[in-house]
Amino acid sequence: MSDTLLEIDNLSVDYETARGDLKALRDISFDVKKGEIVGIVGESGCGKSTLISSILRLTAPNTRFRQGEVRFKGDDLLTMPERQMRNLRGSDISIIFQDPMQTHNPVLSIGRQMVDIQHRTKVSKSEKRSIAAKMLAAVGIPDPEARLKQYPHEFSGGMRQRIAIAMALMSEPDLLIADEPTTALDATLEVQIIERLQELQREFHCAILFISHHLGVIAELCDRVVVMYAGAVVESGDVREIFHDPKHPYTRRLIECDPGHIKERARVLPTIPGEVPDLANLPDGCIFRDRCEQATDRCAQVPPLEKLKEGHFAACWLNHPEESST
Amino acid sequence: MAKSHSELSIILRGVAKDPLGLLGLIIVGMIVFSAIFAAWIVPYDPIGMNIPDRMQAPSLSHWLGTDSLGRDTLSRVIMGGQVALKVALPAVFGAMAIGLTLGMIAGYGPKWLDNFLMLFFDTVRSFPTVMFALAVVALIGPSLQTIVFVVMATSIPTYGRVARTQTLTLRNSEFILAERAMGASMTRILGVHMLPNIIGVLAVLAAMDIPTVIALEAGLSFLGLGVKPPTPSWGALLKDGYALIRQTPWLVVGGGLPIILATLGFTFLGESLRDVVDPKLRKNR
Amino acid sequence: MFIYIVKRFALAALVLIVAVTAMFLMIRAVPGDPVSIMLGPRATPELKASLIAQMALDQPIWKQLLIYYGDLLQGDLGVDVFSGRSVADIVFQQLPYTIEMISLSVLWSATLGIALGAYAAAHPNTIIDRVAAALSVSLVAAPAFVVALLALLIFAVKLQWFPAIGAGEGFWGRLNHLVLPSFAIGLSWVGYIARLVRASMLEVMGENHIRTARAFGISERRIVMSYALRIAILPVVTVIGVGMGFLLSSAVFTEIVFARPGLGKLVIDSITTRNYPIVMGAVLVSTGLFVVSTALADLINAILDPRARSAD
Repeated sequence: MSDTLLEIDNLSVDYETARGDLKALRDISFDVKKGEIVGIVGESGCGKSTLISSILRLTAPNTRFRQGEVRFKGDDLLTMPERQMRNLRGSDISIIFQDPMQTHNPVLSIGRQMVDIQHRTKVSKSEKRSIAAKMLAAVGIPDPEARLKQYPHEFSGGMRQRIAIAMALMSEPDLLIADEPTTALDATLEVQIIERLQELQREFHCAILFISHHLGVIAELCDRVVVMYAGAVVESGDVREIFHDPKHPYTRRLIECDPGHIKERARVLPTIPGEVPDLANLPDGCIFRDRCEQATDRCAQVPPLEKLKEGHFAACWLNHPEESST
Repeated sequence: MAKSHSELSIILRGVAKDPLGLLGLIIVGMIVFSAIFAAWIVPYDPIGMNIPDRMQAPSLSHWLGTDSLGRDTLSRVIMGGQVALKVALPAVFGAMAIGLTLGMIAGYGPKWLDNFLMLFFDTVRSFPTVMFALAVVALIGPSLQTIVFVVMATSIPTYGRVARTQTLTLRNSEFILAERAMGASMTRILGVHMLPNIIGVLAVLAAMDIPTVIALEAGLSFLGLGVKPPTPSWGALLKDGYALIRQTPWLVVGGGLPIILATLGFTFLGESLRDVVDPKLRKNR
Repeated sequence: MFIYIVKRFALAALVLIVAVTAMFLMIRAVPGDPVSIMLGPRATPELKASLIAQMALDQPIWKQLLIYYGDLLQGDLGVDVFSGRSVADIVFQQLPYTIEMISLSVLWSATLGIALGAYAAAHPNTIIDRVAAALSVSLVAAPAFVVALLALLIFAVKLQWFPAIGAGEGFWGRLNHLVLPSFAIGLSWVGYIARLVRASMLEVMGENHIRTARAFGISERRIVMSYALRIAILPVVTVIGVGMGFLLSSAVFTEIVFARPGLGKLVIDSITTRNYPIVMGAVLVSTGLFVVSTALADLINAILDPRARSAD
């Protein structure tokens, strides 16, 4: 039991808007164990941003937590007092954001920012600076002491992302949330960053919640994966298991359409026809129904997330044999 | 013609919806009305001296009292409004016209001309306006025309810069490129196509500029370098009030309040106009 | 960074040169005999001759200009016709009074404006915010000299809380005499700055790096003061630098209203007496002040915003 670090338990989150309630997350459940790397896969609008902001409790004013809990080391983050929550941010739970160009304050030096985030530690300023320098060295920034005095615009995108990783890991967090950290970088940079992340993870033993839509990276990096679509978890489990034997049509289509997966040359890359549903006007039944080739009448009812075997959950009626009608 | 009429009414309606804009519209309306009909509204002759009644505090017969020459303050205030507009309107429109032309030329013409005009604008702008005005008045001598000229000259760069920016932006827009492809001449492009788009922005600027101009005229008159006495001007009222501030303080109020009211009115109107015109401009693009 | 500074000052110098030359030519272009105008009925032939020699009025215009610039570079702004003192002395003696008045105005209005703007940004769309917005617009509208006159009337004449005339002696004396004038000049700036800061803050607080700071548990107070405000203030610096011309104009009137010594009063007096060398000198210095303040604002901007340093 003490093995589980983060438990998302039946979490439902809405946004109140003029058009009505946007049901951004519906009944989400999964967990992350200590030292584990869990990937979250899904296209835009699947709810990953809402998920992250809910975990960190940095949500927009019109966010409504309708049900569920987000337990971190046993404590529900959603009901925690803000002061306590602030203590966790940047120390037990850290985050790397997607866009390295906008992630740092442009008028303060990198050193200043890295010292500021150590505000909880009771050591001298010069000590904090040397910790920061060590961290920069660990992510592969040459001549770290000198570079602490520099400003974000003096670094390239790839280096800024490394700095972001350094900042996130400096406090040796239990959980690192990586929100599409390589999406804004080109392929070669991506490889370097991922390798660096793996090294550091081995060294610090932190759990990672890795959000991406790049299946290759997920397969390479993660132990388990959660597939999300339009605010719901449609499949989750061991990463090899999922990619080898996907049990949900959406997952299958994702794998088929992934450019890395395509074996033959083709003129037209495959896509999933249709559009993501409007979160304010959800259709009845299975969320993927309108875009699924294998939809049946049963899909008029929301399929439950069922455990199909050890380490493999899916929400699709196709996995349930038809009940014989009497 | 029908089109511009409905444009105007749309704009006016938009302004009227905003409470501050409506207030501005009312104030400006009152000022313009009283300026036009000043000669008929004034209770007393604003220029005629009336020594026996001099330096009277505000009373029922003289709502704002009288000055050291027995002239009724209220009448002078009303007439002062006419003078203020007589200076402000030609100055602003003159500056707008010249600034617009120069700005469009700067934005549309060759680079060297642009650089030259920009240097010219920056130089004129770099003079503290009042110093410049004082210097010119000192040289030429005070009069209504001098003030109009000075005020106009100092405002030109403001309009020029904005017109230039707008022209530069529009220059590469699709519909201009299409016109050029069809062989339209520069005058035609500037006059028929760019102008309507730029005018909106400049009109807003003008509305905001009028209070500045009124203040400048008042300031110059206050210093004795403005309109010649006995022409009533709000600035002159302030001057008379200041000279005898302990005996006739009401003159300061009489000169000051209309200026503040006018600036408030035009500023509210201008701000509201900008809110109405700006999003419209974006939509038209 | 160094090249940046040099470029800014070079541009400033260019503008100054053009302005001064224009001024010079304008004065020389006045119809009538400048000498008689300046000296008036007192003009004896000897006085006239010495003036002409002094101001090189018998030389062709371009030569006069050259001589003037030559003198200028040596710090010589000419000599006062009536007193014989150097124009530079006279002008620089009056300058500090104007500068202290403008500085105090900027100081109080910027401080209050930034505080109000930051507060309004932190509590947007509340009644306070909307009332403050309307007030800001109104305050901007009132011209400084009208405010000055009304302030004089109410606070100095009627209520007698503050002195009406002069600049005062000693530190506290001078401060006492500065209260009403700097109040009058600063009033229209408070609203303007507050609105600027409000808009700027709202924009900055929505940017990603603020989200990062929050995600690392940095306190909201620290975020507002050190992370957001630092960026949001930048436009204010520029606005004040560029607004120096406006400030100087306000200063002229305010000095007259409160009978304070300073550049403004000097210009007015010398214009009334047609004392051209002093007019030239004073206008030159005030234009120079304006140019310096714009360049200074750019400099401060570059110090506060590292991104500006690399920009060419």
